[in-house]
Amino acid sequence: MGRQVAIVSAGFSEHASKRSDVNMGELVSEAIEDCLKKVPSLEINDIDAYVNGNMPAFEGSNIPELWMTDWMGARNKPLIRITTGGTTGGSVAIAGYYTVTAGLPGVETVLAIAFEQQSQGDTSVGLASVAYGEISILNSMGATYDHLTRLLSGGAAIGAAAYQATTYMNKTNITEEDLARVVVQNRHNAAKTWWAHLKMPDLTIEQVLDTPYIQYPLRYGMVCPASDGACAMLFTTEEKAKDLCDIPVYVNGVASVANESAILGYDGSGSAQIDPSMQLGAIRSSELAYSQAGISFPRKEIDYVEVYSPFPNQELMWVEKLGLFEEATAPEMYKTGVTAVNGELPVNCSGGVNSTNAIGASAMERPAEAALQIMGKASNQVPKTVHASIGSGWGGSLNLITLMVMADEPQRKWR
Amino acid sequence: MSEEKVIVANKGLVRAEFNFWVGRYMDKFYDGLENKKIVGNKCPKCGDVFVPPRKICGKCNVVIPFDNNWVDLPDIGTLVNYTITSYKVNDRSDRKAKPQIIGMVRIDGSNTGIIYRILDIDSSEVKTGIKVKIEWNDQTKGDPSDIKGFVKV
Amino acid sequence: MEKVGIVGYNQVKLYSDANYGRYEMIFEAVRGAIDNAGLKKKDITTVISCTNDYYDGRTISNCFTVEVGGGYLADESKVEMDGAHGVLYGLMRILSGNHKLAVVWGGSMASCFPYHTARLYETDPTWERPNAYVNDITAAGFQMRAYMEKYGVSAEDIAKIAVKNRKNASKNPLALEEAQNSNITVKDVLESDIYAAPVTELMVAQPCDGVAALLLAPEKHALKITDKPVWITGVGWNQDPYYLGDRDLSGSKSMELAGKMAFNAAGIKNPKDEIQVAELFEAYAHEELIFSEALGLAEKGKGADLSSEIDGKLPINPSGGAIGGNPPCATGLIRIIEAVKQLRGEAGKYQVKDVKKAVASGQIGMCAQNNILYVLEGGA
Repeated sequence: MGRQVAIVSAGFSEHASKRSDVNMGELVSEAIEDCLKKVPSLEINDIDAYVNGNMPAFEGSNIPELWMTDWMGARNKPLIRITTGGTTGGSVAIAGYYTVTAGLPGVETVLAIAFEQQSQGDTSVGLASVAYGEISILNSMGATYDHLTRLLSGGAAIGAAAYQATTYMNKTNITEEDLARVVVQNRHNAAKTWWAHLKMPDLTIEQVLDTPYIQYPLRYGMVCPASDGACAMLFTTEEKAKDLCDIPVYVNGVASVANESAILGYDGSGSAQIDPSMQLGAIRSSELAYSQAGISFPRKEIDYVEVYSPFPNQELMWVEKLGLFEEATAPEMYKTGVTAVNGELPVNCSGGVNSTNAIGASAMERPAEAALQIMGKASNQVPKTVHASIGSGWGGSLNLITLMVMADEPQRKWR
Repeated sequence: MSEEKVIVANKGLVRAEFNFWVGRYMDKFYDGLENKKIVGNKCPKCGDVFVPPRKICGKCNVVIPFDNNWVDLPDIGTLVNYTITSYKVNDRSDRKAKPQIIGMVRIDGSNTGIIYRILDIDSSEVKTGIKVKIEWNDQTKGDPSDIKGFVKV
Repeated sequence: MEKVGIVGYNQVKLYSDANYGRYEMIFEAVRGAIDNAGLKKKDITTVISCTNDYYDGRTISNCFTVEVGGGYLADESKVEMDGAHGVLYGLMRILSGNHKLAVVWGGSMASCFPYHTARLYETDPTWERPNAYVNDITAAGFQMRAYMEKYGVSAEDIAKIAVKNRKNASKNPLALEEAQNSNITVKDVLESDIYAAPVTELMVAQPCDGVAALLLAPEKHALKITDKPVWITGVGWNQDPYYLGDRDLSGSKSMELAGKMAFNAAGIKNPKDEIQVAELFEAYAHEELIFSEALGLAEKGKGADLSSEIDGKLPINPSGGAIGGNPPCATGLIRIIEAVKQLRGEAGKYQVKDVKKAVASGQIGMCAQNNILYVLEGGA
């Protein structure tokens, strides 16, 4: 049951706040070209199946993988579409893995593509429309739309993040300076990543703190941008991988666990989730993925981490929840350089989501960069040898965490 | 099932504006439309001509370079398919209106079809295979509405 | 291909305007499927949902349906296509060995959104959408005309399929009431409102409200759960080019290739001799003919000659097919469930005799741009 899967390449398009020079299909074809040029012995016609995904609300286009068939080289090829909100990229990568591991006859090499061209739409409408059905009932009773969005979902993603931040800060007594430090590290890393959006090699903590609040404790200088961009990953079998690249990256564990729906629950009924920084989904996902990968001590066994954190408090929260650092110790790790490029456990050397956020693509860019670090082909490559890495995603409303655990050795034990 | 079930239906309008980047290839095509000219491009491998022009030939999976491979095409084509419907669909609604003849036209020299209304013709005269010609809008803006429709030649 | 079994299923009755809410409908479908298999929620390790944000009118629509779909703290994902494509992902998750029980559910409420307007958002926004001449209504007209003109098939022959399916639907207690009609005639179909000439209203599978769910398990586990597991022995899926002008609408290359892929995996060499029943998602009556030809159940252009009634040589859509009710995102999943019923002998008044192997299909996109086909065996 289930064959070993390897990642042999990952590619990106250039990310910018407005990619006005391309339509959606052309944006995706850039990422595919970048992915395939790293495996010159493979041609686009050799791809057996495709997985595609984005967040459809942002471009005003439903199921756009139908329109962009030819741009992906997918004419008369098998193709499925996966969308799970902010974690879409991670879910697409996981579906790419499942498509290969299922062992269906003739399906061995799979191209997974995730993208977003956010500049085409209105991001805040796209995000807020998560709650329309739910809050509209109250709207009919007299509460205005504006009032409702702010009150109930706390202004969509940033609101959710703000709640996570305050509950986390309560537990850990961190300061805003700790948050700003995470931002500065990410933006410096982004400056060394060719495809990243906010490249800020000279950013300082003071500069970050000198920006106004959007919603306490998050300031403008701390939040991720909205980017246009695409990412592609190539999955194949263990046998084929050996001919395609020097260091195949084996996918040893995957999980995408859903926690309860959001702060407002459904029908605005409220939620049993009192502490949004508890992150049951993240804890469960990491349990599943690490056990599949045979990892018992993630702090010691993982060499590199790409964690999905559009907001700096989330980076601190999740490196702990994903088992890499003890509770409440993450801020210290950033202060002492443990998570820097040349540190013991480098985190987000691509600049992370905090520097580049094309929502549909960003959860794929995490495992993509984590894989490239193992291959030694990442843009901001860490000096130490990376044997095992993880890439995570966050989304849904508060509730879906995707995780992919990879290594340069295939995991055979647990099957 | 209780008799007094009250189901609340709520209706509201949310404004969401979208602006789509057309990419450089379509941009050139729309420049052509603004000048009442049809511009396509040709796959360097199989020779298929696309209108509107495309970055990638789907059959060959090759990029059609932007710098050349452009083809000027005539206003005339063949009607390869058509339908007659009274249903008008747009971004806000679909409703019954007057019947319209919607046709798929293969512009002479191209290998694909573009879909527009067939104008000034009785439905009994429409048949696949007839020759049709573009009727342009007097004022062109560089968007799909510059082609008002097709008329029988 | 290793055997994966369908061990339970459930479908809510289809309504054009169901008098209950989305969450209740999903819960009914999924809970019913779990009960049908005699299992408990804690047995579920993975859930695949199939919904569409544009049809549900909100972003990340399925994030609110996690609990009612049985997905709380389960490894879950979403396929934004037809329910039949969701079953593919569920199948892959079982084949991976990572999961022992998968729930796949899908559906939407067509009464809550303007269907044709929502379909318009699938079109090319840089070229076709502003004019809206290409939409699912005109696409149906183009496809039917292309098929009729290529093979000289008459509108009567196509209307006969609509008649057959509506009569079949009247035997299916779960089908859409408006679609059930045991007295309908070819004349009624041809004289109904013109949708997009030559397609008339009664030839169209009308969208409605509905949700369906099924459970998948690996072979050993499936045999413990039920004594009537239905095995998926082959699956194939394929996507045609997008622009209607690039395609030969008189046939379906994607269905042909999906069929070849599925038949290869299932070891089927002559589908028309080896399959006893087909449940095909036909969004319009003429698509049933196009698909049966693409799958090799009939020669090209001769689909109308097939004896496809319930007591015929090769029954197609004994449940009434999509014409019996088309809840977006559930229709293909319901076709699979109907094929399962036939194999298990649970199809009541529309049961076909001696079914050993069946096929079921799903589709998405204008003129069925992406098709998926399953070969199913086993059951009773």
